[in-house]
Amino acid sequence: MFKSRLRSRALIYSLLVLAVLIVLFPLVYMLGTAVKPNYQIINLRASLWPSHWEWHNVVRAWDSAPFGRWFVNTVIFSVGATLGQIGSSLLAGYAFAMFEFPGKRILFYVLIAGLMVPFTIVIVPVVQILADLHWLNTYQGLIVPNIASALGAFLVRQFYLGMPYELGEAARIDGAPEWKVFSRVYAPLATPIIAAFAIISFLYNWNNFLFPLIVVNTTNMEVLSQGLSVFQTQFSTDYDLLMSAALIVITPILVVAVIAQRRIVEGITLGALQ
Amino acid sequence: MVPGPPGTRSAPPANAGRAQTGRARLIRRRTTNGRGRSVGPRPLALPYLFIAPAVVLTATFSLLPLGMLAWRSLFAGGVFAKSLSYVGLQNYSDALSQGGTQALRVTAIYTVIFVVLTMGFGLAIALLLNVNVPGVQYLRAPFIIPLVVPPVATALIWGNLFAPSGFGFVNRALGAFGLPQGNFSSSPSLALLMVLTFGIWQFFGECVILYLAALKTLPLDLIEAAAVDGAGPWRRFRHIRWPLLRRQTVLICVITTLAGLQTFTQIFILTNGGPNGATTTALFYIFNQGFVQFNTGLADAMGVILFVASLVITVVLVGFFGRGARRDV
Repeated sequence: MFKSRLRSRALIYSLLVLAVLIVLFPLVYMLGTAVKPNYQIINLRASLWPSHWEWHNVVRAWDSAPFGRWFVNTVIFSVGATLGQIGSSLLAGYAFAMFEFPGKRILFYVLIAGLMVPFTIVIVPVVQILADLHWLNTYQGLIVPNIASALGAFLVRQFYLGMPYELGEAARIDGAPEWKVFSRVYAPLATPIIAAFAIISFLYNWNNFLFPLIVVNTTNMEVLSQGLSVFQTQFSTDYDLLMSAALIVITPILVVAVIAQRRIVEGITLGALQ
Repeated sequence: MVPGPPGTRSAPPANAGRAQTGRARLIRRRTTNGRGRSVGPRPLALPYLFIAPAVVLTATFSLLPLGMLAWRSLFAGGVFAKSLSYVGLQNYSDALSQGGTQALRVTAIYTVIFVVLTMGFGLAIALLLNVNVPGVQYLRAPFIIPLVVPPVATALIWGNLFAPSGFGFVNRALGAFGLPQGNFSSSPSLALLMVLTFGIWQFFGECVILYLAALKTLPLDLIEAAAVDGAGPWRRFRHIRWPLLRRQTVLICVITTLAGLQTFTQIFILTNGGPNGATTTALFYIFNQGFVQFNTGLADAMGVILFVASLVITVVLVGFFGRGARRDV
């Protein structure tokens, strides 16, 4: 009995470790190729792992394209869109859960209908609207269409439906206006759910490729993902340079992912299983 | 028998409605305090101000574009054309005859294989991670990494792994085992295979996380009872866990299907829809017709087709397989 249990544990461990190795292999391969000396890449018989680490490749990649500028653009876009999503979702979710007002049901359906329309399907008309607003190649063009989050509003609403209305009574009796009751009493309570939502929303925006691709097209407005795809067309066979560029783009998010691992898992689960 | 959803904080909708009417009464009553002094204006405009950003922006950038899509699919004209001419369903038949049928077929093949393998691997890994063995929790993190790092960067790695002749790892490995090497960007089926493997690698972590969360909600006593009765791991899974997971399986299937239908990044990076349209999915077709060929009418028609298809698939999945649990989806 004990022996068979030990054996099944060993089997589980080895299967999982094997799966982890397969999943992480592409990233290890990227690192190995990024810091490989060039003569090793050309030589088809050379080992997959670099003989010595040529960090200069990464410097060369950084200098070959405006990564700094793209990084700043990505931060502005993803932080702006995420803050907007948090704010609009918190306000709408709270109002839909706590207040009764004429037209509430219809307005809620409008919001939920948004969940049914994947943005990828409506890219052509969205670009037409942005062009009419003269918002192509601008930060507001990148950020504003991404501010509304039906999912976020829905999650916040679900959260506040479970909160007693009486919680804000003390503040109301003291004469606090409703928005203050919201910002001082109720909003802070939503911190955990907002944190989980914020991290997946941030990652989604940071990694969003198709939207920036169609909204901005000048080098100094591009985001990292987009810049990287242009980089690829310029250096399509310089594997060391390409992998160095990928390394530059992946590393910051990898750090975020490792630090915020728990919140990411919460966010994914929250977003799907509600 | 069906376990409750993980976040059971939410009140059932029926009760929620009643609770809100109670709240409304409270708001009206509490606008004056006991001594008849007003403690603030009746918050009549406030709810509208609160919901305005979310509702207005959703209407402007989701629902209005959807309306435009359906309307403009009936007209001929370029992206920025000012005058449009009504052509009826001409765009639809043109889209289908000019590569659209192939795009829909590619989308169907891609999505079916993607969903089956992603969910299969996801469930398998989740079952392994769910076993009560010390240290297993540390092995969860690596599976979310492909999901969260920028897909453009990881697709570039894929391009490198599948590079032609001896440059790429895959071809070198094939050569080492004495197998024929392939050119993954010029052979239609190999190109689709390359795009698919990336999709599965990139997304299956989502299924791992979702199935793991679902497995944690299952009643342990039932599984233990079965173990005591002598049911092996496979029978415990087949007859207890799998039926109990049905509701979550439907939900994960919907999420994975929608993700599969919206595959774009690796196609753009790795194959650009080629060779000869072999990896042009419906979404890539929309992008290509809308922003590269400037055949907006065809792009709009395909957009409507893809929207209706996603909606029908979702409704069918939830309706047929999620019966008895629709309340929660």
